[in-house]
Amino acid sequence: MGRLRIGFYGLTGCAGCQLSVIFNEDELLDIIKLFDIRAFPFIKASNDEERFDLVFMEGLVASPHDIETLTRIRAKTKTLVALGACAHSGCIPAYRSFTLKENYEHLLYSKAKDIADVEPEPISKHVKVDYVLPGCPPDKKEILHFMKEIALGKTPKFNHNPVCVECRLNGNDCLLIHGKPCMGPITSGGCHAVCVTGGFECWGCRGPTGDANYKAYIALLKKKGYKKEFIKTRMMMFAGKIQPEEMKACLQ
Amino acid sequence: MDALYRLEADKLDIFLQSLGPDIYAPVKTDAIRFQKISSVKEADLTALADVPVKDFFFRQREQLFKFTKGKIATEIKDAPFRIFFGLRRCDLNAVKHQDFIFIEKYKDPYYTAQRKNTLLFGYHCDEALNKYCFCGSMGLEEYHDIMFFDKKKYFLLNPGSKVGQKIVSEAKLKRAGTLKKKDTIPKGTDRLEKKDISKLFENSLWEKGADECLSCSACTSLCPTCYCHEVKDDVKLSDLKSGERTREWSSCQLKSFTRVAGEHVFREKRVDRFKHRIYHQLVYFKERYGVNMCVGCGRCITHCPTTIDFVSLINKMK
Ligand code: SF4
Ligand code: SF4
Ligand code: SF4
Ligand code: SF4
Ligand code: SF4
Repeated sequence: MGRLRIGFYGLTGCAGCQLSVIFNEDELLDIIKLFDIRAFPFIKASNDEERFDLVFMEGLVASPHDIETLTRIRAKTKTLVALGACAHSGCIPAYRSFTLKENYEHLLYSKAKDIADVEPEPISKHVKVDYVLPGCPPDKKEILHFMKEIALGKTPKFNHNPVCVECRLNGNDCLLIHGKPCMGPITSGGCHAVCVTGGFECWGCRGPTGDANYKAYIALLKKKGYKKEFIKTRMMMFAGKIQPEEMKACLQ
Repeated sequence: MDALYRLEADKLDIFLQSLGPDIYAPVKTDAIRFQKISSVKEADLTALADVPVKDFFFRQREQLFKFTKGKIATEIKDAPFRIFFGLRRCDLNAVKHQDFIFIEKYKDPYYTAQRKNTLLFGYHCDEALNKYCFCGSMGLEEYHDIMFFDKKKYFLLNPGSKVGQKIVSEAKLKRAGTLKKKDTIPKGTDRLEKKDISKLFENSLWEKGADECLSCSACTSLCPTCYCHEVKDDVKLSDLKSGERTREWSSCQLKSFTRVAGEHVFREKRVDRFKHRIYHQLVYFKERYGVNMCVGCGRCITHCPTTIDFVSLINKMK
């Protein structure tokens, strides 16, 4: 079997997730040995779009151009991976969905007439997504791990344990117990609890765990003195457009 | 082994230092953790260590072996001679249970290598160290090389092993009476009123506990007796046939813990996971091995973000 034909693309986003791929400097040559990088417009001058086995798609859909790129590339690849929080949930750019148009229109859209105001959405809203590598940005080692599993022909497995599990593995003292609004218990792990290990509470960038006890969690934050609006803003920030029904109900 | 020996308080440092360079004791950093000390003055003996000694022997992550093109290479290095000072009775019994599982029962070479050159020096609690302690309900035993009873101006030392006895004899400490059974149990620690919960499985109060549970696994990580782990393989990108196998702590509080082929999860419901931990600690282990697994240290309560006190929950059950 020849090398798998892969591509890296970006929609609306900051390109940080594509950078996370490139930050694997020591492994880049090994990646090229295993994968044929046909397209990577962010860093490559010549890009061949003929067909792909695997494409990593960064960014969310927020313009007509995004929709065009996404559907065009989806049609050419066997497997599509949402790379990073914007592709996964819509992330922070999707925040404008939660406010009134008049609150943001005058800042950009009324000035730049050629930018159409398309409803911001995660890529799964428009096309079928096979795998998600979540995070803002995604963990560079997790990207490599995923690529190894694909190269081995395995079905990649994902960590949906709460961030707390890795946080405890790292031996951290719990910030939530000390009153910080840490979102570890309701957030999917896989990041090695990098924020907490660095002394900063989890903001939930990898999205909801699927096993979160929102009721108990929100009650706990309230008990620790946080206001409802604060909790709501924090929880919606990265869950974007993929907020579970239970979470929405608890934030009512 | 009930002999007591007297050591003057100001001689404690010299006594410990004379035994070796690697003395560990609970030290207050961000939390109270066991650390290497150069003087006993660094130790914080005012509270139960937040983090038990478990991870020195049963490490959070442990490489089991490396594999290279079909060949397996195991590298197990014995830990150096270490003395752990300041272990409470609950934690000593927790080490006993881990020794039983990892050494006696399953002959685990990784745990054994970390544990075998270790001496356990206890620091006795006269009474409950905090309001969640319930060691007095758990039927604990003596399990130490030397137990230290703090009498302020002096310590009474009770050797509990041959090595402990040898150390005390070589230091030429004077005999100072005999340890009575009643003085080994900290006062005010018999908090768990129901000693047998096997008939309470269907009690509706379990739901109340689970309603507060975030399934975060803090309780099992910080429990000095929990030993569950998962095993993971990772290969090298440069050579997909080479890599390593590691084990890593896991927890019955997680859905992934009982996930099997076909994505079937045995303990999908939070209440089932919540109950499983407590039943393993208070019932299942005892059914198999004759002793409670839980040692009553209370860490799974004090370090639970929502402070679920399963002891008072059980006490309330009818
Ligand atoms: S600090 Fe946050 S992630 Fe870590 S254990 Fe506490 S709640 Fe979980
Ligand atoms: S549970 Fe018992 S031995 Fe452990 S700290 Fe509390 S009083 Fe001391
Ligand atoms: S520490 Fe508390 S909230 Fe977390 S899993 Fe254990 S019982 Fe549940
Ligand atoms: S179950 Fe709780 S009280 Fe019992 S040994 Fe574990 S942490 Fe301590
Ligand atoms: S089953 Fe749960 S309670 Fe029992 S040892 Fe494992 S993690 Fe601890």
